[in-house]
Amino acid sequence: MKETLMDILCCPLDKEALELEVTQKEPNQTETEIIDGELVCTECGTEYPINDGIPNLLPPDMRE
Amino acid sequence: MSRREVRRTYDRIAEHFAQTRAHAWSDVERFIETETERSAGSLALDLGCGNGRHAELLVPHVDTVVCADLSRSILETARNRTGDRTIELIQTDAADLPLRSGSVDLAVYIAALHHLPTRTLRLRSLDELARVLTPSGRALVSVWSTTHPTFEATMGFDTTVDWTLPNGETVDRFYHIYDPEEFERDVRDSAGNVQELFTSNGNCYAVLGAAED
Repeated sequence: MKETLMDILCCPLDKEALELEVTQKEPNQTETEIIDGELVCTECGTEYPINDGIPNLLPPDMRE
Repeated sequence: MSRREVRRTYDRIAEHFAQTRAHAWSDVERFIETETERSAGSLALDLGCGNGRHAELLVPHVDTVVCADLSRSILETARNRTGDRTIELIQTDAADLPLRSGSVDLAVYIAALHHLPTRTLRLRSLDELARVLTPSGRALVSVWSTTHPTFEATMGFDTTVDWTLPNGETVDRFYHIYDPEEFERDVRDSAGNVQELFTSNGNCYAVLGAAED
């Protein structure tokens, strides 16, 4: 996902802001593509993994 | 059937399902053409995007198209199909959208709402769609309905429809089949501002505006 997507993403549970923690990214011509990392809710602390460019923003109880 | 089971269903049939869903629907094309003549937008959402066949129609009109689906495997098929830099894939539950209020200019939610297992979840999903739309934003929502010739029933009902994989295995898919009055009731009960309601090819459609403030 592109870093600029952070402007519109929020926590699905409480709609609060998310913090981006990057483990792998790919700067391309126009902007940075996040490959692996995590989105963490600044309010409830829930963690949402980003794997291979796709963030998993499912509530925790729906993931496994 | 829980939402997790719905996700697992689509994870299992993703590849095969994606191949059979090749073409965009003309009703969706018409909606996108009408709406994009009315106003240029920067962000579009394809909720329940499947293999991304409708997202492709949105790409020329906006800066970014968010492709959202419950199933990671289905999203992978959308990636292969669209591959376009302006498309962003996110794994999402349609009843809990991870998008800020008032951020989406244009949305399509095609043949997905009917997979949410309860009326409460379906209403919450419609409320979420209305929440994320900009004040002048519009969303097209479609569901399968009793008006389709394959159904005798005239009242809405829950059912499962088999999906047969290439190896002959069948997978149950949950559907709530709406009747038109029921669909109208749900969209009017939602926070969305109903702009239009129509039936076409056995599907019920609604055009929704943002939540009234």
